[in-house]
This record gives sequence, structure tokens and C-alpha cells, in this order.
Amino acid sequence: MTGFVGPIETPEDLSKVREIGLSKLLNRPRIAVGLSTCGIAVGGERLFARLKEIISSGGYNIALVRVGCIGFCKEEPIVNITIPGKPLVILHQVSENDAEAIVNAVLKGGVPDEKVLCKVSSWDHITRTIIYGTGFEQIPDYHDIPFFSRQTKVILRDAGFINPEDIDEYIAVGGYQAFVSAVSSRTPEEVIDIVKQSDLRGRGGAGFPAGLKWEITREAKGHLKYIVCNADEGDPGAYMNRNEMESDPHMLIEGLLIGAYAIGTSDALIYIRAEYPLAIERLRKAIDQAREYGLVGENILGTGFSCDIQLATGAGAFVCGESTALAASIEGKTGRPRPRPPRLTDKGIWGRPTDLNNVETFCNVPVILTRGAEWYRGIGAKGNTGTKVFSLVGKVENVGMVEVPLGTTLDTIVSEIGNGGAGGKSVKAVQTGGPSGGCIPARLFDTPVDFEHLNEAGSMMGSGGIVVMDEDTNMVDIARYFINFATSESCGKCVPCREGLKHTLLILNKVMAGKGTAADLEMLESLSDTIQATSLCGLGQTAPNPVLTTLKYFREEYEALISEGT
Amino acid sequence: MTEGPKMVTVTINKSQYRAEEGETMLSVAMRNGIDIPHLCYEESLDPYGACRLCMVDHVTCGKRTMMTACTMRAKEGLEIMTDTPEIVKYRSTLFELYLSQAPKSDVIKKMAARYGVTKTRFLKKIVHDDPLGGKCILCGLCVRVCDEIMGGSAIGFINRGPSTVVNTPFFDENPACLGCGTCAKVCPTHAIEIEDQGDTRVMKSWSGTRIKLQECPDCGQYFVPKAMLEEIQSIPDPGIIDELKTLCPACRAKEIAKSVFKSTFQGSVYHG
Amino acid sequence: MNDTTFHEIISRYHSPSGRTLGILRDIQIQEGYIPRELLNRVSVELNEPVSRLYSLVTFYSFFSLHPVGEHMITVCMGTPCHVRGAEKILETLQSLLQLSGESKDGKYSQTTQDNMFTVEIARCFGACSMAPVLHVDGDLYGYVTPEKIPDILSRYGWKGTGISQSENRSDAR
Repeated sequence: MTGFVGPIETPEDLSKVREIGLSKLLNRPRIAVGLSTCGIAVGGERLFARLKEIISSGGYNIALVRVGCIGFCKEEPIVNITIPGKPLVILHQVSENDAEAIVNAVLKGGVPDEKVLCKVSSWDHITRTIIYGTGFEQIPDYHDIPFFSRQTKVILRDAGFINPEDIDEYIAVGGYQAFVSAVSSRTPEEVIDIVKQSDLRGRGGAGFPAGLKWEITREAKGHLKYIVCNADEGDPGAYMNRNEMESDPHMLIEGLLIGAYAIGTSDALIYIRAEYPLAIERLRKAIDQAREYGLVGENILGTGFSCDIQLATGAGAFVCGESTALAASIEGKTGRPRPRPPRLTDKGIWGRPTDLNNVETFCNVPVILTRGAEWYRGIGAKGNTGTKVFSLVGKVENVGMVEVPLGTTLDTIVSEIGNGGAGGKSVKAVQTGGPSGGCIPARLFDTPVDFEHLNEAGSMMGSGGIVVMDEDTNMVDIARYFINFATSESCGKCVPCREGLKHTLLILNKVMAGKGTAADLEMLESLSDTIQATSLCGLGQTAPNPVLTTLKYFREEYEALISEGT
Repeated sequence: MTEGPKMVTVTINKSQYRAEEGETMLSVAMRNGIDIPHLCYEESLDPYGACRLCMVDHVTCGKRTMMTACTMRAKEGLEIMTDTPEIVKYRSTLFELYLSQAPKSDVIKKMAARYGVTKTRFLKKIVHDDPLGGKCILCGLCVRVCDEIMGGSAIGFINRGPSTVVNTPFFDENPACLGCGTCAKVCPTHAIEIEDQGDTRVMKSWSGTRIKLQECPDCGQYFVPKAMLEEIQSIPDPGIIDELKTLCPACRAKEIAKSVFKSTFQGSVYHG
Repeated sequence: MNDTTFHEIISRYHSPSGRTLGILRDIQIQEGYIPRELLNRVSVELNEPVSRLYSLVTFYSFFSLHPVGEHMITVCMGTPCHVRGAEKILETLQSLLQLSGESKDGKYSQTTQDNMFTVEIARCFGACSMAPVLHVDGDLYGYVTPEKIPDILSRYGWKGTGISQSENRSDAR
């Protein structure tokens, strides 16, 4: 598949690969099918197979490739068509029955009009701009589609455009340039400094400054260290990381390599959940390709810097998103958190200093290095720089993967991008931050989505799931759902979390069954308070949030269930 | 003056105490007769921080944060409060949770009562076929001594969350069990049942694992697991064995245990 | 599992990081569950006490200690699936396949009497845009409704009665 043979040894070699990749993207008619997990589930593979059959039986000069997901999940399966010199055209809701029409149109240098969503004349991959061409005047522009127009794609810069299984295409859009120039012309300290100046905060939920964490790990005592990517996306309703890894695995690998260089380690690990087989497969392929090109392995570009990347899979335990549990899991132990300090940066995997960052944190690093800290700080809000990817799901019209600058209001996300409640129903609340987060009522939708404001509303950023609830959703049931989740995901080590959540669930079951009393609501509050204050790790400390926020904002729904029962 | 560990001054409930730097605050408090309830702490093991009963207020610059005393290390100027209204409130709820989890444990009942908690608002666990008799509070001490100190690794945590229990793999007799009984010795709620029946020790709580005992050639008493004695005898230090030959079986068992495990573990070998 | 496969799996893992869970995951995928005999062999191979491995396979929900049916159905219970009716999906499956809703050890896994289907739940597949979703043997089905379930099941050889179908149709929203 790749056209360049042997390791990349100089920046000039990288340019050569870039030319090869660009020709794949632009030089001949190309049909690209969006094939992430969800695209596959709605028939994408069948469509791909049909297209392949038609193209090969006709012997047509059309490239057929798999790409990742552009994020407009509602419109899947999505197909891109590139005719050299003309804009890239995005087709939506394509089925295998449309395959013939697509191929016929492409052979005539056109597109099947009835399937067209929009066109892209040029695309800013941030690391490089790709100019597709002009024409197709009658087709609406990408920026005319409301779902897209309010988004800012930084992390999802390549998703849906390039083939995630072809390193050449990643390099074509400017990939690995940041890493190559970092190892060949910047010191690790300079790299850390740029990341610090960008004000990039960890995207795993806590929002700790990423550059500072790198610096702490770099300065930690010990010769052998680890850098670990947390890809154990455990929040139900959050699938950003899956999409990022399936659509653009090299972006993560490049960020991880830059981090390894900055911290001064040659041991990098990606801890990924077992439930993501396609992401695992694409990451494996990507690591192998990077190794073949000498971007992973010994003495990279002859600089003396070596780094190997290993995959470690989880096995279905939400608590392993907690740093000490994650480290235990990699060591082959049960994921039971231990008290901190010591922090992972002092004593992590196998007792060695360990830096742990989320997938998205790493994905930001190549663009920060390419475009500079000041450029990055220009996106988002002060203290909350950059963008964040959210999965906008639940009872919302435009379900999908949404990337917006931090500080964008919930209203913009839910009403403008999401186009309000599904089927025209009115939206009652959103739940952010997964099981650790809370429910925010519609009247607070002017809340800017950033780390601090979500906390003030009683919720949190978490990894980025936004689940929309409409008028039909019972909020007590939602609270019960999350407590049920947290109870069965509790590791069972400390008593407030293990026993306290169990009893919270019993009380909520009782209330839902119409048998609750006012004393039960008091008990819910005092129990939640104790669990929050006394649990050993973040899981227990935050697990009562869905109860506390629904009691705060939707108390009448609890009371209605109680008065019904008496 | 002799070289020793660095001494620091810490404050507990407004009174000052001398402590070794790095010592756990729980141990400082215990030594000075300040009562902090705890269930999962054992001096010879790393602090585990699971029972949450030893939570105290850590006072810094007038601000208070709750922390477990077993994981907090003494350093100069450290200040804690052990009985603030918040601590009492949370501790009481925790005791209620313990009372519902281990309804058959007299130790828990007594301990809770000492802190004014005599009943629980929460549903009590049903315990009819529990091999630990409704007394286990999952502090993990038995698992940890078996694994980390004795090297037996015969038992472990099974399942997670509220379904967690301690037992042998597959709930079957486990030949890896040494029969030393250290698990029962460290259990704070006396939940683990072991019975010597003639030449056999039955680990009743551990799926009825049976251990052959060694008979004393002098008086005929069974006094120590056979396999364990063989292992001890294989230690190339005949001095121990010679010395012990003069002792009666009961004392011998005690002495063997002491001399072999003293260095790492302060308990003694279970017998009888 | 034959010796060659077993040793091939062991040899995939060179570094101790991620090895134990990786090996167990591969066995789970290969066999559909973790046979006791293989757990003992892994214990010998890795020099890890069986008690620790047993702790792992009962802690992590990816593993099962019991043989599963011919077809594995996994119902996603993520939040978007929940708000869009996942519970109804699970109930429909339980009633069509005559399974109980109980779980003894905190993991839900039930197999039909004829050993044709095992139904499990998952915390989130990350296919939230198509909620509610379920997997059958790795095939992902999105936008599932109780009405669609008989059709999905019959693709895997289910020969259910019409009675249970109409019953479920009546209580479906």
C-alpha cells in the first residue's frame, strides 16, 4: 500500500512521502467510504464491497478507500468523492443500492445529485491545507450546513478525509512534520515550553495542565519512565476517542511520540479498552507502518532518540480510567485504586514515573507544535484554550461528533448544532461528564462549556459525552441509571463506594416503584454526601453527582413519585 | 546523642506530639492513646486506605481536608483533628454501612456503639450461606497477608463492587493454602473459621480446604501443617531446629513461627 | 484450545506490561470464555498464583468463566441507549428467549436452554449515535426496536413462536 520503501532518515525523505500521499488524495478519481464502527454498522462495508465489485469488474481507474468518520453520524453512511481539480463532495445516507449510480457519475466526472450533502473546495488540516478545486456551483458549501458551520475542527482535522490505514495520507496532510522537526531541531525542554505556553489542559476530565505534567514527569527521579495514553474511554455515551483512533490513529501516535521525546522516555503505551476492536486494529497497523518508516523504534531519524509504542488492552472496567487503577491493570492486577500520593508521575507503572494523558490531549500536540502556542491560545477561552470534541447523543435531532472551541455554550451545541430535540420534542436537560457528571437543566443552557463552568453547575467535563434528555425522560430514572452503573463498576475496595452506592440504588429503586418517602430523600442526600466526602477514588467521590444534580434541579420529579406512592 | 530517625512535632486535636518523620499519623495517634477507629490497618503491611474509618481533618492554613490517618505521613507542623462534627457525621454513616454489611459481627457492633451508633437505617445483608458468617467487611487483610507475607496466595478477592467476596479460586479447596492460619489471626472481625480435626486442619471459610498436620513424635499432639514444617526445615539453618527440639509442641509451634516470620510479620502462627 | 494456539497467544506478549490481561483477552476471544484448565495453564506459564488470575477474570467484565451459547448477543446499556429504550430491548430478548433477569455475581450473562444464544450486557460500545444498539457475534445492529428483534434473532437460526412476538409488539412504544 505504501509507496516509499525503507525508513525515513531525513526531512527530505518525509517530503518524498508527502508527495506520494498527495497523489493518492488528489491525482485520480477517488471514492472514499466512511468506515468507522458506526459507518460499518449502518451498512458501510456492504456498500464498500459493492463499489469494489463494480470498479474492479469494469476495470475503472477509480481509487476506492476507507476513511474515518466526519462526525455527522445521523447522515451515515457517508461517502466522499474526489474528481481531480474539483471540490471534494460529501454524499450522505448512501446505501449499497446507490453504488452503481456513484460509479457512473464519477466516470463522467460528476456526482450523484440526489445523494449530495455538500462540497469542500479546500480543507484546512491545520498542519497543511489541501486545495481540492473549483466547480459544482449548484452544490451547497460545507460551511452552509448548520451542523458543520458552528464547529471548529482541530482534533478532527483529518477525520473522514484521509485513509486511517495509510500513513502516506497522514503525511500528505502535514503529519509527522511536527515530530520530525521536534526531534531534529528542538530540545525536549523547548517542546515542553511550547505545550505549557499553549495552556493545553488534559482532556481526560480533570483538566490538569498538560505541559506541566510532562515537566513533572521529566524531572521525576528515575532513569526509566513511561508515557501512557489513556484510551480507556469508559463513560457511557462518549465515543470521541474511539472515533479519533479509528479515523486518524497516526495523529495520536505522533502526539505520543512527541510526548515521549519531551519527557525523555523510550517506553510508550496505549491502554485501550477491549470493546474497541476496530480502533485496536487500526492502531496496530498504524504503529507497524510508523515502525516501517523508522518513526517508531531505535534511533529515530538518526537522532539517538528511540521510542517503542505498545498496546495494552483493558478488559471492561470503568474504574480503570482512574490513574492508579489503570496502572494496576497494565501490571496485570485488578483495577483497584490506591490512595494518592504518591502520584503516577512519581510512582506509576512498575513503580516507575509515569505520565498519563488522554487520547485527545496527545492529538492536540502536533498542531500546537506546527502552528505555535499563540495560535492555539487564540482558540477557545482564557484558561480553557483549544477545542473539545463532544459526542452529542441521546434525544437530539443531529446526533454526532461535535468539535467546538471551549467556552461554547450548551445552547449552541444542543440547539444550533444539534438542532434541538429529536422529532421536535423539547429538550429538558443534558447530562455531561458520564457517570461522574450531572444533569444540567435547559434553563442553564447559557452555561459555557469549559472545565470551571460545568463544575459550577454541579456537573463536569469528563471525557466529553453530552447526552440529551427530552420531555419524556424521567430524571429520577436517569439518576437511578447512573447509580446502577457506578455500583456495578465500583471496584469494591472502600466501603462508602461499595456499600453506600448499593444502598443509594436500593433507595432509588424504592422511589421509582412509588414506595419512597420523604425520609428516603433525606437519606439519599446524606448518603450521597458521605460517599462524596469519604470515598477513596474519583469514582466514588463523583458517583453521587447525578443524584445530587437531579435532586437540585428536578426535585419535583422525585416528589411526584413520592406523592403518587402515598 | 545517637543517630536515629528524624523527629518532628505534629498536632493532634490541638495538642502537640513528637513523631518520627514519615510515620503514619494513625500510629502516632494510637501510641499516644488517641482513639481513631480503623479496620484495615496492619503495621507490617503498606497502608491500604480501604475502611475509611480513620478519616481525620487535615488542617492547612485554616483550611480542612479530610484524609485517612493511615495514609498520612508525619511531618513537621502537620495538624489533624480527629473528632470534628463533620468527621463524626461521616463516621456514623460509615458505621451504619458496616452494620448493614456485617450484621453478625460483634466486633463491628461494639466498635460502632463506642461511637454512638447502635442501629442502621440501611437494609441488613442476608447472610445465610456466607462462608464468612456475615462478619466479613472486605478490609483485605487476610488476602494481603496470605499473598504478601506468607507467599501462599491461596485466597483472593472475587468479583467486584457489592458482589465482592474473599475466597479460594473457583470456591474450591486450594492446595496452595499453607494452613498457617495467619488470615484468621489478622481478621479484625474474627470472620474466618478454622478447625483442627485430629490430623487435619479444616479451613472452613476457605471452601473447606484440608491441610495435613504434623504429629509430635514425643507427645502425639498435632501442632503445625506438615508442608509448612517441611519448608521450614529446608531452611539451611539447623540452629533453629536444634534449639526448638527442647520445647513442647505448643511452644515449638509458636517459636518456629516467631523466628521465621518475626522479621517480616508481627503475628504468630495460628494453632488450636 | 490446542498447544500451538495456546503458545502462539503467550508468545504475542513480550513485555510484562499489559501481558496478563492481553493473554486472557485473547483466550476469551478464541474460546468465548475462560476454561478453568486454561486459567491453570496461564498460571504456570506466567508464574502467577491461580487466585490472582481468578480475581482478574471475575473483576473484569470482558471475561466469562462459563461456556456461552452458539451466538452471543450483547446489549449495550450506555446512557444514550438507556434513554432510547435499551431496557425494553433487553426485556424483549429475555422474554423471547425465555431467560431470567438475574445475575449472581454482578455480571449479567444468561444462556438459552438449547444453548443457541447467550445474552449479555455491555456498558457502552461507543456506537451511541445509533442507540439503542446490540451486537450479535460481532455484527452491530443500530436503531433497534423491540419489533425488530425477532427478525434479528431469526437471522441466527431462531425459530420463535409468533405468540411472543405479538405480545411484545403490543407493549412496544
